[in-house]
Amino acid sequence: MTRKKVKLAFITNDSARKATFKKRKKGLMKKVSELSTLCGIEACAIIYSPYDTSPEVWPNTMGAQRVLAEFKRMPEMEQSKKMVNQESFIRQRIAKASEQLKKQSKENREKEMTEVMYQGLTGKGLQNLNLGDLNDLGWVIDQNLKEVYKRIEAVKKGASTSSSSSAAAAAAAASQAVAPPMEQKPAVVELGLDPMQRTQTEWFTDWMNSNTSDQHIGYGHADEMILPNFNDNHNANVWPNNFYP
Amino acid sequence: MTRKISKGRQWVDMVKIKKASNLGVTFSKRCAGLFKKASELCTLCGAEIVIVIFSPDGKNVFSFGHPSVETLVERFLGRNLPPPNNDVHNQQIVARKEASIHELNTKLMNLEGVLQMEKNRGESLREIRKRSDVVWWESPIEELNLFQLQHLKKALEILKKEVEKEAQMVNNNAFPFQTLGSAWTPPNCAR
Repeated sequence: MTRKKVKLAFITNDSARKATFKKRKKGLMKKVSELSTLCGIEACAIIYSPYDTSPEVWPNTMGAQRVLAEFKRMPEMEQSKKMVNQESFIRQRIAKASEQLKKQSKENREKEMTEVMYQGLTGKGLQNLNLGDLNDLGWVIDQNLKEVYKRIEAVKKGASTSSSSSAAAAAAAASQAVAPPMEQKPAVVELGLDPMQRTQTEWFTDWMNSNTSDQHIGYGHADEMILPNFNDNHNANVWPNNFYP
Repeated sequence: MTRKISKGRQWVDMVKIKKASNLGVTFSKRCAGLFKKASELCTLCGAEIVIVIFSPDGKNVFSFGHPSVETLVERFLGRNLPPPNNDVHNQQIVARKEASIHELNTKLMNLEGVLQMEKNRGESLREIRKRSDVVWWESPIEELNLFQLQHLKKALEILKKEVEKEAQMVNNNAFPFQTLGSAWTPPNCAR
């Protein structure tokens, strides 16, 4: 079947219109039949066209009359409740599509700003963002902060995490080991635009990257990782002997 | 949040669906699809169509009719004569209705186009996220230990302050005359 995108307008070419009518009418009747069978429901379809004096009917004249009689027996309100014509039907579809679009746009915006937030955490600048972007970014950060606060409370209360209980115990131990050093080095996590602080941002980034797999690092280990290591035997050969007492 | 992946098109046996939940979903979808096809046939070929469908639970009846369910039902049941449509006044009414339907269809098509673009954008954003998940602070929060959580908390709080600072700066740059007050009064405006 060719899948050309058809413009939703009256087909002016007479023969094309007649051909389309035949095909689509057949398809429509098939669909009504399928719906009736699959869902076990009563239905009827009546099609009037300029090509026939008498209408095309599904299932047949008698069947349609029966369905319509039952339809008319229902109270007026019940009949009208789900009744549509072309205009109201298209308006309904527009409303539905608008809702979906709003939802999808919001979802996309959140995802987009989350990427920006992650980039912000690695020190990338916020200069190319306009006020709207910054507001949305602030909102996303707030959402994430809320989750982090909640999670911290839950972990502190000793609630079971998704991983094993040993991880929770290790987390508790790590938090005790970490608490004092954190207060001593507040400058560690500065993410500023000041050139001096940007170096610290890179430090922070490197530090975060180096801790990808190991969950039990305390501050002591971090220092060892970042600072040059002069105790390496390899380096000892490079320095003149009088450096070492 | 795990995303539901739909099964796509499936062949169906032409017998009544057994599972009630499936039946309900199928009914809704196919009913909407049927009305859509009927609407298209009316627009494309100038047909006049009425469809009446009873819901599976028997509580509702769904009907579609162009120009209207009532007139076509009456026409079919023989209670009124075929519509007299050759006088000018009637033709004008019909033409105006067709124009508004055409307008609505255009609006709908544009909307659906934009929706598809946003869906595609969502898809590519999801791909980006899937490929970038290597750093610990981008993992789900449930997977972080307390130490990481506290570190992330500090980092986010600082980033938040940065964003607020930047927003202040942008705001000030956008309205440079706020502090100069009467910069826009008529004598100062060059016209």
